[in-house]
Amino acid sequence: MRGHGFLIANYVRGNSIIHRTPLWLKFLVVAACGTASFLIVDWAVSLVIFTVMCALFMLTGAGYRRLLRAIWLVAPILLVIGLFQWWQLGGPTAARIVLNVLVCVVAASVLTATTPVQELLDGVVALARPFRRFGADPERFALTIAVMLRSIPFIAGAFSDVRDSARARGLERNPRALVLPVFITTVAYARQTGDALAARGLGEPERD
Amino acid sequence: MNSISFSKVSVRVVVDGSDSPKTLLHDFSLDLTERRIGVIGANGSGKSTLLRLINGLMEPSEGAVMVHGENTVAQVRRVRSNVGFVFTDPLSQLVMPTGREDVELSLRRSIKNSMQRAARAEKVLDRFGLLPLADQSIYELSGGERQLLALAAVLAVDPTVLVLDEPSTLLDLRNRELLRRTVAGLDQQVVMSTHDLDLALDMDRVLVVESGRIVFDGAPHEGVARYRELCAAPLPGATLGDVPR
Repeated sequence: MRGHGFLIANYVRGNSIIHRTPLWLKFLVVAACGTASFLIVDWAVSLVIFTVMCALFMLTGAGYRRLLRAIWLVAPILLVIGLFQWWQLGGPTAARIVLNVLVCVVAASVLTATTPVQELLDGVVALARPFRRFGADPERFALTIAVMLRSIPFIAGAFSDVRDSARARGLERNPRALVLPVFITTVAYARQTGDALAARGLGEPERD
Repeated sequence: MNSISFSKVSVRVVVDGSDSPKTLLHDFSLDLTERRIGVIGANGSGKSTLLRLINGLMEPSEGAVMVHGENTVAQVRRVRSNVGFVFTDPLSQLVMPTGREDVELSLRRSIKNSMQRAARAEKVLDRFGLLPLADQSIYELSGGERQLLALAAVLAVDPTVLVLDEPSTLLDLRNRELLRRTVAGLDQQVVMSTHDLDLALDMDRVLVVESGRIVFDGAPHEGVARYRELCAAPLPGATLGDVPR
């Protein structure tokens, strides 16, 4: 199984100003970008924010290749969305929607490229701590994020493998030969991951 | 108290489309006190089910499983903190993108301080010779390195019992030898299912499982011989003429 096609950049060691920025501030920027995507109505503003986020990414020292890869991976979906929106609502709206999604992807990449996963999980635990009084387990919140980050490349890898298998059998144009195996593989993977986490005592509810 | 005991255990599961439950393991009792225990048997014979009972991943339909005096159902959390489990495919077990992060994930419950956690993870990785690979993507590691990493991540929390479910199945000869040496050097009580009969011969005691029954329990050489006999017997209803050429 190939495990590539990560939607957002992996952590890159470094000592840039972004690396040294407190985690809460980076979280805030990502949240602000997400919120702004609902509020911005002018594509030119979206373009400015996108440019700023790209500049921030370059400041991390992760390099333009990683930035391009993060964008490249969402490009096919954004192309479909953009074309549909252009047809339905016109060019400026389509550009705004596509740029807003890109802003979120790049912002998330800035966060993950400059924050070790464990630090990220510690941040999620701290963020979820107030919910403990309602019975929530902050560590399970963090574990959910970890599993989500892990699952994205796995599913992308599963799709690549299944597509290759379908090609080898001359079934590359058969959607059922692509979708069904990916679905089954993903469900099996989810079960295996659940078992593996339970076996390691991670994310288990208190039973004794 | 340092034993794994199965008392009148049986495991049944409900199968879709069938009125009666399927028996995965028929009624058996065992007391495992040896340091190295091997479980051998054909695919689908019930080896994995037997192993999963030890960690509480599977609950017995009848009877009880006790690990060092703790019940695997009623005290599952404590049992799991004492019993490490290594799966056949390390990729289904490793959750984080790099080895360092995965070992640190194992330690999250036991060590809250991130600096201490990182230091401990480094020590564990170093012990297994994995420090130079600590920051590489798990997908860039070889099968043997991945399996070793899965082992390191499980052993990071110092379990007293280690269960390995066919750990050498996906490994080449070199990596199999590496795993064999590593397991031989562990302090933990080890229960391992395997198709590698050389590995089974390293054990102190061997169980042979066949169609959900423990058909042999004793010395490794005799166990392996018994398993060879079973494998030599033709499958019910099958003849060589049935094999497509």
